[in-house]
Amino acid sequence: MITFEGLSENFRFLVLEVSGQLRATHEFMRTPTRELFDRITGRDDYIDNLKTIIENKCFSRIHTDNSLDRREIHRIRAIHTIAVNLERIADFCVNILGQMAHLSDPGRLRADEYDPIFAEIEASLNRIIPALEKEDLPGALAICRSEYELDRLYEAVFHRTLAEMSDGRSVHDRITTIFIFRYLERIGDSLLNVGEALIFSVLGEKIKIKQFEALQKTLSTSGFGDSLSDIDFRSIWGTRSGCRIGRVERVRNARSSTGDAEGGGGPGGLGSIYKQGNKKKIIRERDNIARWSTLFPNLVPEIFGYHEDDDSAALLVEFLQGCTLDEIVLTGDGEILQNAMFVLLQTLHAIWERTAAPGPVPTDYMRQMRSRMESVLQVHPGLRRDGVSLCGAGALSTEQLMDRCEAIEKTLPAPFTVFIHGDFNVNNLVYDHTRQAVRFIDLHRSRDCDYVQDISVFLVSNYRLPVFEPALRGRIRWVMREFLLFALGVADARGDATFQARLALALARSLYTSTRFELNHHFAKDMYLRSHYLMERIVAHRGPWEGFRLPVEVLDCGRNAIMREEAPCALAS
Amino acid sequence: MSSEEKFVFESLQDCESIRAFLEALTEGVGSKHLVLSSGGERIELFPQGLLQVEVKARRKGGSSKVSLKLEWKDAPRVETTDRTLSVSSN
Repeated sequence: MITFEGLSENFRFLVLEVSGQLRATHEFMRTPTRELFDRITGRDDYIDNLKTIIENKCFSRIHTDNSLDRREIHRIRAIHTIAVNLERIADFCVNILGQMAHLSDPGRLRADEYDPIFAEIEASLNRIIPALEKEDLPGALAICRSEYELDRLYEAVFHRTLAEMSDGRSVHDRITTIFIFRYLERIGDSLLNVGEALIFSVLGEKIKIKQFEALQKTLSTSGFGDSLSDIDFRSIWGTRSGCRIGRVERVRNARSSTGDAEGGGGPGGLGSIYKQGNKKKIIRERDNIARWSTLFPNLVPEIFGYHEDDDSAALLVEFLQGCTLDEIVLTGDGEILQNAMFVLLQTLHAIWERTAAPGPVPTDYMRQMRSRMESVLQVHPGLRRDGVSLCGAGALSTEQLMDRCEAIEKTLPAPFTVFIHGDFNVNNLVYDHTRQAVRFIDLHRSRDCDYVQDISVFLVSNYRLPVFEPALRGRIRWVMREFLLFALGVADARGDATFQARLALALARSLYTSTRFELNHHFAKDMYLRSHYLMERIVAHRGPWEGFRLPVEVLDCGRNAIMREEAPCALAS
Repeated sequence: MSSEEKFVFESLQDCESIRAFLEALTEGVGSKHLVLSSGGERIELFPQGLLQVEVKARRKGGSSKVSLKLEWKDAPRVETTDRTLSVSSN
C-alpha cells in the first residue's frame, strides 16, 4: 500500500469518527438522551476539523511533492473526495438529531425500519479502509451498490408513512419521520460518491457505477473474463461527443474465461476500445460498422461486444493498430505520409466507386452551419457580423449570407450519393503502415450522402490543426492540396459540374463550425473570416454554377498548384 | 465629455472586392462626407481642412501589410441658442 505520512492516519481517524457518530445516532433514535445529543453535536466540530486537516494535506501534498506518480495522485484525490463525503455523512447524523426534537413521540420511529438502514451504512463504512488499502474493486462496488439498497429501504418507509398520513392524524410526526429517513437516504448518496472515489483510486478513471456495470456486462458478453482485476481500463480520449471512450486491455499473463492466453487473438488480444453513452448514437455506430464490414471487411474495427440498458448503450470494438492520420501528418516520416495519403486516396476511390448511387439529392450545409451557430457564439461571441455599409459599398450580415447561400444551395443538389464516413476528420482515420491500410473509426454519422461532406470535413480538419511552425504547416498544405486535387479529379471524371460550388458551401460550414473547438481566438477568427469570404463569393457569383470556381486560396494551399490545366490526379482519371 | 463613436469592420476580401470598398471611400473623401454603418450603429464623418495622412507598409516573414490613416480635427460645433446677450448700463 502507498503510505502518506500522517494523512493515512488522519483518514483512518475520520472513518472511525464517522462510524462512531453513526452508531451514536442509531442509539439516539432508539433512546434519545440529552447526554448523547451533546456528545454527537460536540464530535461534529472535531470531524469538521479533521476533514479540513485532510483536505489541506491532500492539496499541499499534490502541490509540493513532485515525486508523486499518477497512481499516488489518484489516491490522494480519492482520499480527499471520500473525506468530504464522510464529513457530510456526519452532518446528516446531526441533522437527524435536529429533526428528532420535532417528534412528539420518538417511539413512532420503527426500529425494524431503521435498523437495516444503519446496518447497511455501517457495513459500507467498514469497507472503506480495506478497499482503499487493498485497491479492492469489489469492495468499492459494494459501497456504491449500498446506495441502491438504501434507496429501496427509504422508499418503503416513505410509502408506508404516506399511506398512514391519509387518516389525517399525527401528520406533523409523520412528516418529521420522512425527513429523518430522508437524511439516512442522503447518506446513501454520499456513500455512492465514496465508492466512486475508490473506483477512481484503483482505475485512475472517473467512472460512474452505471458506466462500470455497463463495461462489466459488455466485457463478459465479449469473451473477456468477468474478473475485473484482469482488465486494464484506461481512457484514451475521455469523453467525446457525449460518449465515454476508453481503452481496455487484458493485463499481462491474465487469461480469458475461455482459457486463451493474452495476445492469442480474439477479443482483447490487441486491446479494445470501449465506448459508452447515448443509446441512439451507439446503436447507429454499431449498425454503421456492420454495414461497412459487409462492404469493406477490413476497413472498420470489429465489434466484440454490445450491451444496452434503458437509456444508454456500450460497445466494445477492436483497437486498431497504427496511428491516426493527424499523427502522421504532424510527426510521421515524409515517405510514410506520402504512402498514407496514397493509400487513403485509393481507399476513398474504391469506396466511392462501389457505393455511388444516382441522385439528385439535396444537401444541407447551411442548415448544419445555422444549427451550430449558437455553440460557436457561446465560445466566441464576436464571430458573427451585422450588415455593413461603407460609404455605399456593402457587406451582408452573417445571417443574410446564410439565407442567400441556403437559397442557392437548394438549386444545387448533389448529382449522386456515396456511403460517407460522416465525420471524416483527420483523427478519425487510422493508418497501419505495416499493412499499408487506412481504416475508419468513429462511424456513428455514416450515411448515404454527398461526398462533398466528407471532403470538406477532411480538408478543414487538416486546416485547423493548431500548428503554425512553417515546415509543419507546409506538410498540412501538401495534404490538403493532394486531397483537393484528387477530389477535383473525381468530380471531373464523374461529370459533377456543381462540385466546386457545393464544396464552397460545405467549406464555409466546416470552417465556421470548427471555430467552436478552437480557443485560440486569432485562429478562430481566421476561420470565421474565411467562411464568410466563401459565402460572399457564392452570393456574388453570376452565371451558371458550372462556371463557379472554388477560391482555393481560402485553404491557403497553393492556388497555382491546384488550378493547373493538366489532369488533376492520375488516380482519379 | 463627448462619447466616443466607433466603427470597426473586418473581413477577408480579394483585390477586386477591396477595390470596390476603396472606391467608395475615395468618393466619400471627395464629397467630404463619409457614412459608415453596421447593424443599428452609424457614424458620419466630415473630412475638411487639412488632413494628416499616414501610409505605412511592411513586409516581414512572408506577410505584408499596408495601412492608410487619415486624421483631422473636426470644426468646433457652433451652439445655436435663442438667448441673446445684452449689455446695458443703467
